[in-house]
Amino acid sequence: MTTEGGVQYSKIAEIKGPLVVVDDVENAAFDELVEIETTEGERRLGKVLEVGNGKAIVQVFEGTTGLSISGTKAKFVGKVMEMPVSKEVLGRVFDGLGRPKDGLPDPIADKFIDINGEPMNPEQREYPKDFIQTGVSVIDGLMTLVRGQKLPIFSGSGMSHNLLAAQIARQASVVGTQDDFAVVFAAIGVQYSEAEYFRRSLEESGALKRSVLFLNTADDPAIERIITPRVALTVAEYLAFDLGMHVLVVMTDMTNYAEALREISAAREEVPGRKGYPGYLYTDLSTIYERAGKLNGRKGSVTQVPILSMPSDDITHPIPDLTGYITEGQIVVGRDLFRQGIYPPINILMSLSRLMKDGIGEGSTRDDHSEVANQVYDAYSRSQEVRALAGIVGKAGLTEIDLKYMDVGDTFEKEFLTQATDENRTIEETLGLLWKIVSKLPKNEITKIKDKFVDQYYKEE
Amino acid sequence: MGQRHPLTSNSALETTIDKILNNTEKDILSNIKLALGESQQKLEDSIPKLESEYDKIISDGKKEADKIEKQIIGSSDIEARNKQLMILEEAVNRVFTKALDQIANADKSGDYSNLIKTLLDESTQILDTSEITVFTNAKDRDVVQSALSQFSGAELSPDTIDCLGGIIVKSKDGAMTFDNTIDARIERLKPLIRKDIASKFGVGN
Repeated sequence: MTTEGGVQYSKIAEIKGPLVVVDDVENAAFDELVEIETTEGERRLGKVLEVGNGKAIVQVFEGTTGLSISGTKAKFVGKVMEMPVSKEVLGRVFDGLGRPKDGLPDPIADKFIDINGEPMNPEQREYPKDFIQTGVSVIDGLMTLVRGQKLPIFSGSGMSHNLLAAQIARQASVVGTQDDFAVVFAAIGVQYSEAEYFRRSLEESGALKRSVLFLNTADDPAIERIITPRVALTVAEYLAFDLGMHVLVVMTDMTNYAEALREISAAREEVPGRKGYPGYLYTDLSTIYERAGKLNGRKGSVTQVPILSMPSDDITHPIPDLTGYITEGQIVVGRDLFRQGIYPPINILMSLSRLMKDGIGEGSTRDDHSEVANQVYDAYSRSQEVRALAGIVGKAGLTEIDLKYMDVGDTFEKEFLTQATDENRTIEETLGLLWKIVSKLPKNEITKIKDKFVDQYYKEE
Repeated sequence: MGQRHPLTSNSALETTIDKILNNTEKDILSNIKLALGESQQKLEDSIPKLESEYDKIISDGKKEADKIEKQIIGSSDIEARNKQLMILEEAVNRVFTKALDQIANADKSGDYSNLIKTLLDESTQILDTSEITVFTNAKDRDVVQSALSQFSGAELSPDTIDCLGGIIVKSKDGAMTFDNTIDARIERLKPLIRKDIASKFGVGN
């Protein structure tokens, strides 16, 4: 914080999309915060995107609607955008730019932190290996989330990913440790009703007191969305690395973020990349996703579950495609399962948690976890093949073992996958259900589990 | 048809009836025994199921109770914290108002002209020009006017501004403005001052 700064310039050369070009600017820095004052005295925030030749290009977060070249003033504040942080942010609701939205005053800040974050020293990074229980069986059992991981959820428009996001935010916890746990929830460009659902859902479940909400709704200016994940992650990093908490950051919907980025890129007349997204989309997304992790010698961790809706359910679309290169696996929400009314409709055959193997087993979940999960993956995959075959030859043409696999597939979807939105299953319950599915197979079909575990947990019906 | 002896015929009938009764009784008893056995077996078989149902109901009940407890505690904590924040904010605002009143009524002699010189110095450096127009409030016009003698190219605007003290400096081409009033400086420092005031109330330590 400085007592200086605050030179106001009144020569606006151009207003273009979300950008304002200011003339005769002597001193401005890249990313510097700018206060735009309209002729009516209304104030908006922006940041410097480019400086040089006496000009500064300012990106206005709240949009440029209503601004005019004459009468608009741009005050260069002399610092980058900062978020005031303290333990008091827990239980609070902010807008997409980090301003209180719950009718309470600004938090009394312990620190003001640059929202762009500080890159983690790769040498200081600690390998993520501790289990986070989400209470959602399919995630805990088959694509386990670990502290410090970034595990996105790929969904299609209109599917139940927001219900899942809220359920994870309500139920997530760290087991086997007394460490504090917090949830930072960033809603990016969601509908007002969805934002309200997230707020009410956390409030009514009592989870709000350990959560921080950032709500950028669809009617907020699109450009604000560029800031929302950064502000949320700044708070998450403070809670994790200054206060030693384990923080789960849920961000929905990253597609809206990428679209805001495309809007700025188009306004700057940059050469468009795939589907009009800027060429630096990968780099930009990585500056968000790479803020997840754990550091050697520090107690806390930042775990990310970004949610992104795939336009036309297309997993090869640039946003999920580039996200997939950065993150450690993905959870894919399936349209077929959604149509069948299954919740959560997660297609396990397209999903994967790359760090799962290090977060499960003896001392974390249970020693048989990895093997029973592999067996269920195998059995469900086989059941899908049998279903396809049944579609051609009919059920009568199937063998007895084929029918058993079909039964496994049905039980998996109806009893394991299907879960109420307020049902919080422990990892023991989840593993019990996995064994129930495995136990539908004859013992000689169980090839991926050690005999000692089969003897211990297999229960023939 | 010959006449039968009444006793003989009665006794045969009774014997038959007795037989039937015995057989029926046996049947009934055996059926009852069987049914009892079956019922006992069923009862025995259903005990583990009932026990597991019972355990499930108890565990579901506990889960629900835990959930409700968390909800109640969570919302009460939030409510209490929110009230505390509002009270604190009110107190901080009162401190601010009083402090600003005191600044407004403070005696502006002696060091105040040095402060104006410092503010002018700072402003010309930030704007990078001494070709400036200076604005101040009606009270401070004389002090600012005398300080301006040291800044060639600077002139005092005939218009006055409404502020506690200090100056606003504008480049003569009108392109740049720097607000160096006491009000603006306090506003810039407000987040830090709020923290200091809050710590006096024992918050944030």
